[in-house]
Amino acid sequence: MKGKTSLPKEVYQALEAIVGPDYISDDPAICQAYARGGYGTFIYDKNSYPPACVILPGNTKEVQHIVKVCNRYEIPFIPISTYYISFCAPARPNVVMMDLKRMNRLIKIDEKNMYAIVEPYVSHSQLQVEAFKRGLYTISLGCGGQASVLANHIHSGLGPLGYRVGFNGSRRILGVEWVLPNGEILRLGSPSVLKEYFWGEGPGPDLRGILRGLLGHFGGLGVVTKIAVKLFPFIPPKEAPIEPVGVTPKATLKLPTNRMKWYNIRYPTLESMINGMYEISKAEIGAMVYSVPPIWIYIARSESRNELWEKWSKDKEKFRKEGFYFLRVLLVGYTSEKQLRYEERVLKDIASETGAIRISEGRPFDRSWIIGSDSVTVYNVAGVELSTRFAFDSIDVAAKMLTSIAKLRDKYVPPFYDTADFGWIHSNDLGHIAYGEFLTYLDSEDVDLGEKFETLCIEKDLEERAYCGLQNPGRHRMLGPKMGNYHLILEKIKKSFDPKNLSNPPKPIDNI
Amino acid sequence: MSLRLEDLKYDALHCVRCSNCKWMDHVYMKSYRFSQICPSLKRYLFDAYSCQGRLDIALAIMNKKLEYTPTLLDIIYKCTLCGACDVMCKRCMDLEPLQVLEALRVKWIESGGEILPEHRKLIENIENTNNIYGEAHERRLESISKEVVLKEKADVIYFVGCASAYKYPEIAHATIEILRKCETEFTLLYPDEWCCGNPLYAIGRIDLMKKVMEHNLKAIRETGASVVITSCAACYKTLKVDYPKLLKKSTDEMEFKVMHIVEYLDRLLKDGRLKLKELNMKLTYHDPCQLGRLSEPWIHWEGKRKKYGLLDPPKKFRRGTYGVYDPPRNLLKSIRGVELIEMERIKENAWCCGAGGGVKQAFPDFALWTASERLEEAKATGAEAIVTACPFCKENFEDAVKAAGEKIKVYDITEIIRKVLV
Repeated sequence: MKGKTSLPKEVYQALEAIVGPDYISDDPAICQAYARGGYGTFIYDKNSYPPACVILPGNTKEVQHIVKVCNRYEIPFIPISTYYISFCAPARPNVVMMDLKRMNRLIKIDEKNMYAIVEPYVSHSQLQVEAFKRGLYTISLGCGGQASVLANHIHSGLGPLGYRVGFNGSRRILGVEWVLPNGEILRLGSPSVLKEYFWGEGPGPDLRGILRGLLGHFGGLGVVTKIAVKLFPFIPPKEAPIEPVGVTPKATLKLPTNRMKWYNIRYPTLESMINGMYEISKAEIGAMVYSVPPIWIYIARSESRNELWEKWSKDKEKFRKEGFYFLRVLLVGYTSEKQLRYEERVLKDIASETGAIRISEGRPFDRSWIIGSDSVTVYNVAGVELSTRFAFDSIDVAAKMLTSIAKLRDKYVPPFYDTADFGWIHSNDLGHIAYGEFLTYLDSEDVDLGEKFETLCIEKDLEERAYCGLQNPGRHRMLGPKMGNYHLILEKIKKSFDPKNLSNPPKPIDNI
Repeated sequence: MSLRLEDLKYDALHCVRCSNCKWMDHVYMKSYRFSQICPSLKRYLFDAYSCQGRLDIALAIMNKKLEYTPTLLDIIYKCTLCGACDVMCKRCMDLEPLQVLEALRVKWIESGGEILPEHRKLIENIENTNNIYGEAHERRLESISKEVVLKEKADVIYFVGCASAYKYPEIAHATIEILRKCETEFTLLYPDEWCCGNPLYAIGRIDLMKKVMEHNLKAIRETGASVVITSCAACYKTLKVDYPKLLKKSTDEMEFKVMHIVEYLDRLLKDGRLKLKELNMKLTYHDPCQLGRLSEPWIHWEGKRKKYGLLDPPKKFRRGTYGVYDPPRNLLKSIRGVELIEMERIKENAWCCGAGGGVKQAFPDFALWTASERLEEAKATGAEAIVTACPFCKENFEDAVKAAGEKIKVYDITEIIRKVLV
């Protein structure tokens, strides 16, 4: 992290005139709190600067005016809302950090047409609990319920509920209001001609693909100030309420077992588990279908990091020898109890026909995937986590990719992954696409090893001609030349939208 | 455990900026409206006023990258130390964010940082008069002591605390009447009770806090008491958690057990020794932070972080699980005719009243704003009164009710129990 930066007085005054003195500060202490990025601080945002000032716009007009001032004086700006994800720490000196916390309105939930309109600082759990009251739901994110609905939909929008609501967050986006890097306001979908946000596909070009790209633009293409997201029908709350029970850190949701049930299925081999995932998806039953790495069970059952290490060290050899192929399926009787009973019977038949060792009903609780996951728990393994391998492809390609790094894994990430662990896979879009992820736990005093491992994983992706998953814009230039020079397209997009390179430079791609 | 900021560097550095410190536990969230948990951040918006922002600031101070500005002082002290961030973080992490916030204040004071004028006054008051108000020490238990048969030796002591001694004597009177009705033999630390030191700990004046603690411990020891009862959540947490912390002991290694009056009465209720009559009221209960999530017994730990952040020796984390949540509810529910309607953020997820951490004295507007947020939540239940178990919560709620012209009534739980004593 580098030293203090500052703005010319004239620029500060111009910005202050937009929001008023209460909502802007260039005090070093205020700025310091924006100098670090998100979860990848040890790796991704390590050469960041504190911003020169922090500004809190209250509405789209103010965002627009801030962006125009930044353009007039050629000052970079970064939009930020709920944090966690990285690449939001200033990579340049003298940046204006635009904290969007005041733009926190849940503008509308349209029950009839099943969508919600939100501003940037509405969290997923806020939307989810309001949707539940109306018999609707949205995805629950892998990164947790504290994350912004808006930011996450334009970034990835991933979570196991994607099995039914769709893998790709951008497909759940309807109307969009977007302040471009030059300060123009662009509205996509129905809001381009109406005041309503119910429609995403035109009139005019549908730019939601550009808005999201592979994994979002990380604030590199301006500021999205409002979006409508699809909601999906859920069990009416009066029919089967989901109730919280217990005390922290074991608080959990108690599921209504007349309408929701977990099933755990143990398979003898990876191949049989993958086959099981396909068959479940083909039958179009279930609300979530995902594999569980054994260490997650140890994380869930341990009361501290020390306890986890102790138990895991003792047991991990067992998983190396025997393997661990464990599928977790949530069944939901969305329409009726009868639907749940039907799905239970089908699931049991599939487990039997695909050679499962055991199928058992899980405990009727959920802390992870319905309102908000506490996925941050993965950091409690070692203090630093780096997802080094991703798969966005079919279920079997995800399995192939995650398992093909066994030797590398043993060499680079002991002591945790000298085991049969290969990460996790969740089925999306009823089995048509899978998400695979291998989480690497690192020693924060030796992150070089993790970075090297990440490089080797990407090289492995390229060697296998796999669809590279990545979350690091710093890798585009490494991947681009081997993947149709897509990085040049990204460069062109950035230059067309942001010719002065002011919107969170250099995102969405490394230095131009 | 350490209040030395440098010993907590790992904790500040390994914050992953997930923002869980800003929100209540998602599984208990019931609405968009009442979903945030950090008063400081909700009021002041800049991330510097969140826990994760303050951890960044602590880190920068340790790395000598941040120098004094008036805003830095403002950030460090505009926090009620309510511990909500700590509990929310520790759902997932083995870190000690609240200890970082506390150590940041200690470091500030020890390195000669400016003390806010209101805090300076508070410190002077305690130094000169043994109470937070600057009132004569002789007046502390003067009228209250007349209601008690004072003894030199007793098994049970009622530790009255500054607020109930000077500002809310009705709480002390109610507590004494309840104890007498329940035939509890007790005495007061008359004339030796001093301020428990809670504000000194909050401000970061650990040296003076230790002096006050030593005095009170000596006075308790001389009575031979095995139980100290408080009616104040701040005194409760200080005696039960902070004293052993400063003595490098665990709570269960102390010579006496600290009980809040609600715990004591809940036990009597279960034993059939507390009989209550009917009261027709719709009530809601506010969990004082220092009785709830901050009151878990202190577990002394000394050791160091090793590779991968493992702790040697292993440490048992206090995560807010064992706060005093049920006893006050049991008491209120046991009163025939009382309808207890819960707010949305309760127990470990409770929104702070706004009075703690030295905020009420130094930033009264912020304290009132925080209380008014809680009153909005209380009013949404339809309750006619908000009941708490801490005089500082009561004071702040009453001030907020008065400032806004609200109709909702505010009670300490001892006042409610006194009304229904048989």
